[in-house]
Amino acid sequence: MANLITHSPILIIAIPLLAAFLTPLIDRVSKKARDILVIASLALAEFLVIILARDIYPNGLHIYTLGASSPDLTIPENYIVPVRIILEVDSMSIFMAIITATVSLAAAIYSLSFMKEETGQNRFYTLLLLLAAGMFGMELTGDLFNLFVFLEIASIAGAALTAFRTRFADAAEGGFKYIVVSSVAALMVLFAIGILYAQYNLLNIGALAHVMQYTMLDKIALALLVIAFMMKLAGVPLHMWCPDTYSVAPASITIMLVAASYACLYALFRTCFTLYGVCLNLVTVGWIVIIFGVLSMFIGVTMAVFQTDIKRLMAYHCISQTGYMLLGIGVGLAVLNQPEALSTYGIAAMDGGIFHIINNALYKGLLFLTAGALFQRTGTRDLNKMGGLAHKMKWTTIFYIIGALSISGIPPSNGFASKLLIYESVYRFNPILAIVAMITSILTLASFTKAFYSAFMGAELPEYQEVKEVPKSMIAGMAILAAGIIFFSLFPGLVVDRLAHPATAALISQGVYINGIMGGGG
Amino acid sequence: MSILGLGYSPWSSIFWLLAFVVVTIMAYFFRRHGQKGYKKDTAQTKIFLCGEEVPEAKQRHIRAHNVYWGFFETMKEYYDANIKAHTGIINDYIIWFIVLIAISAIILFIVGIV
Amino acid sequence: MTQGIPFNVPFLAVAAMIGIAFYIIISQRNLIKLVMGLSILASGANLFLITLGYREGGVAPIYTYTPAGIMVLPVPQALTLTSIVIAVACLALMLSMVIHIYRHTGSTDSEKSRIMKG
Repeated sequence: MANLITHSPILIIAIPLLAAFLTPLIDRVSKKARDILVIASLALAEFLVIILARDIYPNGLHIYTLGASSPDLTIPENYIVPVRIILEVDSMSIFMAIITATVSLAAAIYSLSFMKEETGQNRFYTLLLLLAAGMFGMELTGDLFNLFVFLEIASIAGAALTAFRTRFADAAEGGFKYIVVSSVAALMVLFAIGILYAQYNLLNIGALAHVMQYTMLDKIALALLVIAFMMKLAGVPLHMWCPDTYSVAPASITIMLVAASYACLYALFRTCFTLYGVCLNLVTVGWIVIIFGVLSMFIGVTMAVFQTDIKRLMAYHCISQTGYMLLGIGVGLAVLNQPEALSTYGIAAMDGGIFHIINNALYKGLLFLTAGALFQRTGTRDLNKMGGLAHKMKWTTIFYIIGALSISGIPPSNGFASKLLIYESVYRFNPILAIVAMITSILTLASFTKAFYSAFMGAELPEYQEVKEVPKSMIAGMAILAAGIIFFSLFPGLVVDRLAHPATAALISQGVYINGIMGGGG
Repeated sequence: MSILGLGYSPWSSIFWLLAFVVVTIMAYFFRRHGQKGYKKDTAQTKIFLCGEEVPEAKQRHIRAHNVYWGFFETMKEYYDANIKAHTGIINDYIIWFIVLIAISAIILFIVGIV
Repeated sequence: MTQGIPFNVPFLAVAAMIGIAFYIIISQRNLIKLVMGLSILASGANLFLITLGYREGGVAPIYTYTPAGIMVLPVPQALTLTSIVIAVACLALMLSMVIHIYRHTGSTDSEKSRIMKG
């Protein structure tokens, strides 16, 4: 078991990757075996993530050097810098990996029924496993170029999955927009990595942070990295690809694309907190992140109230909830070198922002899956055509209510807990930001009430008389996420103390991250 | 009890749920003292629109683009500007990227902060 | 190798390629031309990676029978190979999506073929 924990960082990435390559082979034998392979590999990845998390929270971060004689031999004999690809898993990385593992498992179980009628399903599951492997790789790696490679893997797999149902005209358009935007962003990340390598001859994040002198070229690389990651995580004003892509993708793939954009959010925070850390002008960069967050919140939610396509509405909400996370963590970044402000409200703001990431993945995932269930049964995403579906689809209605109450921040849900943390701490930083956040929350409730009324309430319409409830595996996928929401709603203090606060502590302590690389091994 | 504490405003959802259950029980007892019984499937359960004829469900249900009409009328200039900005053309998405690069170049080189 | 050519010419070429590529991506309405612009952007980034590894008077970084002296950096060449492969995959995916857009909407113009806006 201890051996398994030591090798789990690479196994978490390798098992979905290997299963992705085995899927077309096993699909020739039998379809049932392929389904079992997909679910088993993702369940095994989730199991490994959980045992690694249980080892990291008491014992600190976890290093795995690929290709060395022992996993913590980061700097070999007679070398002064690390030369191999090193996976460095600290509490923030494993937090994001927990989100990815849960969302991928729910998406795979949901897809078993949702994609039943499609042809070419073996390619679908291959790409789904590749997307999961790409996301795990982005979150667990400690090397910048490895981050770029896994970013591209996740982007290509995500774009191919978005355009998978080629019989729809807008699916190809959504996939095309996603791959163009991802390519531009990733090439700018590559350019920034080239600038950093040209100066320091290092690719490892910890080693770069150790020798970073904040020259003008480093500032240019920072600007490129921040703007490129901002484009990938759909922050305003670079968010316009997001509603087009999320609305046309199959519902289970939409929730994995949401998790992929949070992996890019994680990469942004790694850059700001760990790669550059204290040599930044923290107030300026913090305020830039805060301004992006406030713009995302407000523009995202006001455009969302306007939409009549249910998945486009939810995609705009995704943009605005990302704004909450940027706001919370931006406040933490802005006060990072003022210890009194940091301990009073900075750490609480970051706790709220990070708790919001996992809350959002859960309730946004649940909402997208219910929208997929509506699409499966009624054949349309247009709210103008739906009505009175609560009479027939009772489970979908219950899950939608749970998700909508959570995202609007109504007590006692987990959305309320994380938003309360963000409001209380951001108010002490600057009251106007908290007021914008509260207005956003009200408009969020308004738009989900509109969607609930249009789709579920009302008398039964004659064209939906034969609509039944969705199949069991789709309800199982939704139930996994709903169970997570209910558990987090009942015990928010437990989750913040055990999951979100160690992640905050790991982000703030750049020295511990650097020490893991430079102080380890021979 | 799992309490989320900031030191000045603790939040615990379990206490909130207990309070909700207590209020629900009180509300149930108040409701029991009300009128008992109604006849199902008679005119008592049908929709009443002051004696007018009730339109069928398809016309009765307010469609999504008509909901919140007043809100959109009030913020018409904001929404017109925003809808025009969200064109859907892929070239415009990259124009925004270049605009942000230009703004960051101004902040980096000319203003000189960061 | 670069006697007579100033040291900065490859970097100027990189800047020109990336500038031209962004200009193409912004201004060209034809989707195929947009994909070509992305290909030029990828080539510009790859050229940047190789150029930053050059050392004055260096030889190719091969260990057997090397003449004495410094070598150019080998790591950016490995990064460039990876990036070229990724760019090929992206390019193939983008072109196949343009074909699907053309089949559905009958046009490869980015304004006339869009269905979703607002």
